[in-house]
Amino acid sequence: MIMNKRYLIGVFDDEHTLVDAFEKALEKGVVIEEVYTPYPIHEILTGMKNKTNITTAAFFFGLFAVIMLLGGMYWAAVVSWPLHFGGKPFNTFPSFIVVTIVATILTITILTLLTFSVRSKIYPGKKADIIDIRATDDKFIILLDQEKMGMGKPEITKLFQNQGATEVYEKDANTN
Amino acid sequence: MMTSKDMDTMNDKLIVPQKFKNLLFGMIGIGVISMAAGFVLDPQRAWANYLLNNYYFVSLAIGAAFFGAIQYIAQAGWSSAFKRIPEAMASYLPVAAVFFLLMYFGMHTIFHWSEAGITKTDELIAHKSPYLNIPFFFLRVILFFGLWIVMVRLLRKISLKEDEVGGMEHFYKSEKYSKIFIFIIAISFTLFAIDMIMSLEPHWYSGIFAAKSFIAAFLHAATVITLIVIILNKIGHLPMLNRSHLHDYSRYIFMLSIVWGYFNFAEFMIIWYGNLPEETAYFVNRSGGAFGVLFFANIILNWFIPFLFLMPRMTSRSKVFILPVIVVLMIGQYTELYYYIWPDVVHEVKFGIIEIGTYLGFLGLFTLVVTNTLTKASLVPRNHPYLEESIYHQF
Repeated sequence: MIMNKRYLIGVFDDEHTLVDAFEKALEKGVVIEEVYTPYPIHEILTGMKNKTNITTAAFFFGLFAVIMLLGGMYWAAVVSWPLHFGGKPFNTFPSFIVVTIVATILTITILTLLTFSVRSKIYPGKKADIIDIRATDDKFIILLDQEKMGMGKPEITKLFQNQGATEVYEKDANTN
Repeated sequence: MMTSKDMDTMNDKLIVPQKFKNLLFGMIGIGVISMAAGFVLDPQRAWANYLLNNYYFVSLAIGAAFFGAIQYIAQAGWSSAFKRIPEAMASYLPVAAVFFLLMYFGMHTIFHWSEAGITKTDELIAHKSPYLNIPFFFLRVILFFGLWIVMVRLLRKISLKEDEVGGMEHFYKSEKYSKIFIFIIAISFTLFAIDMIMSLEPHWYSGIFAAKSFIAAFLHAATVITLIVIILNKIGHLPMLNRSHLHDYSRYIFMLSIVWGYFNFAEFMIIWYGNLPEETAYFVNRSGGAFGVLFFANIILNWFIPFLFLMPRMTSRSKVFILPVIVVLMIGQYTELYYYIWPDVVHEVKFGIIEIGTYLGFLGLFTLVVTNTLTKASLVPRNHPYLEESIYHQF
């Protein structure tokens, strides 16, 4: 839990004013902590520069799964407990592939879910950490950490209001 | 970034330089000479080449027609600026129809089941002869090509009319006919693939074969559409092409190559596991020597390389990575058909100047027809309802 963090929050009514304010703020060197929107917006995704490596992780999970599954099945069917099935060879590689495809998908799904959960510190039963409940409905929120905004509070407030923010207010992180 | 005003005044027309046309005529000349040499030296091989290249380019045309129809049915916005390319590729169909009818003279060489008197000695072929006989075979060829050409012409006519008149009715009409067209393609191309490729070995049958052939046609058509779009963009046309369009095209290639791999494997796995003599014969015939290598080459060229290379976001958005994959897939389609046709018609691996020359000839002809159709209309459609969306496509 983040202790005693104080946020400056800009509330916007629609996508266009939000994107305009967002780009203007970035231009002026404002450090933006986070943006909450009801739906994903391209400009925010590229502007925040939060690149995810989870796809790369997923690829290596898949590679790991394929090697483990094929190796495991080979070990079980050929090395440890060879059985005759209707004249088939012990190493029935084509029939391993079906199992490998399905189990690889399952492994990737579970491991990426775990990775994502660990990285974003969420777990079952965790209380939702919502800064402004209206962002889950129809409002667009820009969140700034007051300690490292890159600009003074009055200037940013003015900038947001000029760009069409309906509201700019302050809030403590631990006063949910 | 272009503005919509640029687009209104833009008249992007392709003009084919005479030099390029001469090159194509040269390629066709090489093809004619190789074919002629083939007919004199080794008629079986020449007819096998003829069938392979005919099927190769007709599957590109049908796959492209299907691609265009799918864009209408899904109301896809991103591809509407490039819809002239599938249209142009589908315009190869009338030429292909003539070539397929000319196959009449090589029927006995290509198709084992059409040999005179074989129904007396071969009970299975006698059983199948109500379907597999020469008059009905050509009736089907005429019927299928007739249907395809009528539908392709119809869609092209509506598309050109939309350029002049505008309005939503052409879009709705195209969508309606596209819905009919995909059903026609589904049934007719299934039977067509069975006639042309599967009946080469009339004792053998596989339920998934036609579906696999159709996916192969769709996959390679999507590849060639991408290739033509990239080439046109490189020589200064289609200025709206951006990385998002490329990503969408490479998603098509990626997705279809996975489906191709899935179908290819499903067919082999069931036959291998079932181990029925009448089914395994097909793969046993194709397991020795170079055909055994081709079996794995098909999988590597058509599935493994596209799957691996187009997986990352970075590579699937860059021409530098997509172009080699396209070339690999074009070779992959050739090796796939070679693997089907050669064991039954030529009975051994023969690859040389005749094969390369014939392929170049057909490629030249296909390119000539496609570029000729491309020059006939504006490269970027006007008045298409999704045109704006396509130009600003970004994700």
